Amino acid sequence: MTILRDVLAELLAMFVSDARLTAAVLALVAAAALLEQTLNQAPLIGGAVLLAGCLGILTGSVLLAARKHWKQAAARDSAI
Amino acid sequence: MDAWLTVGPAVSAAFLASVVEVVEAFTIVLAVATLRGWRPAVGGTAAALAVLGATVFALGPLLGRVPIHLLQLVIGVLLLLFGIGWLRKAALRAGGVIPLHDETAIFARETAELAEDTRRHATSQDWIAGIAAFKAVLLEGLEVVFIVIAVGAGRGLLWQAGLGALAACALVLAIGAALHRPLSRVPENTLKFGVGVMLSAIGVFWTGEGLGIEWPGADLSLPVFAALFLATALVSAGLARRMERGATA
Repeated sequence: MTILRDVLAELLAMFVSDARLTAAVLALVAAAALLEQTLNQAPLIGGAVLLAGCLGILTGSVLLAARKHWKQAAARDSAI
Repeated sequence: MDAWLTVGPAVSAAFLASVVEVVEAFTIVLAVATLRGWRPAVGGTAAALAVLGATVFALGPLLGRVPIHLLQLVIGVLLLLFGIGWLRKAALRAGGVIPLHDETAIFARETAELAEDTRRHATSQDWIAGIAAFKAVLLEGLEVVFIVIAVGAGRGLLWQAGLGALAACALVLAIGAALHRPLSRVPENTLKFGVGVMLSAIGVFWTGEGLGIEWPGADLSLPVFAALFLATALVSAGLARRMERGATA
């Protein structure tokens, strides 16, 4: 049972390593799909939004995590 | 050229991702072998490989029945989640936000934990050691199985991606068997960077195709996507490191 639980936890962690990142990617794909449906004369707009959105999500996610980490580290250092 | 552009990213992503995962699994299998001998280590590893192989053989034919656009969309989104997740972690490691993976420290910790476990359960030491090897190979192998299926299924490249993963297993095991110590000098974060870039690029490509987008240049757009993801991740890692100076100044 422990192994099965660990396997399920591993599978979940593979796709949901960070809940905000996962939510942002899913929302972006939904937005690209919506654009694709409404602007089917210009399908590349949906593609451009998808690509640029992924790059933006990556940058935002890294910078948010870094800012949180360094703030906590600075607070710890000042407390010592 | 076109065939290379299709097969190359799939095989190299499967190969590089497998190197990362097999190195991690090998560290634990080696800890088991060092403590209890090769019998439980090889037994646990073989059992896990059999489960993983059965998973690929069971899922592979089923995927052939799913409509191609739906398959590309679902696998594309999963690849995006997985690839950007890896790339984020690699960028944070490169930026000094989270520590690098240390196989030597993991080996020492696993050996100590296993020694404690087997000391407490003196009658079933080999069994516990075998289960530890089984779990390590199964959990690390799950990611390899996903990547092989994900990069292979959308284009009928399951065998090629599988061979890439097997080549990585053979390479790591051969080097590990020769050195007989954890492979701590493998540039794991660099590999994770590379794999994250490729999986994210393939993820964008397939999600787009699944949505009905026809990318300009078709497969030729893949290297462009990969270059953009690489540049973005490198810039993000640099900015993350610069934030440290800002916070400590």
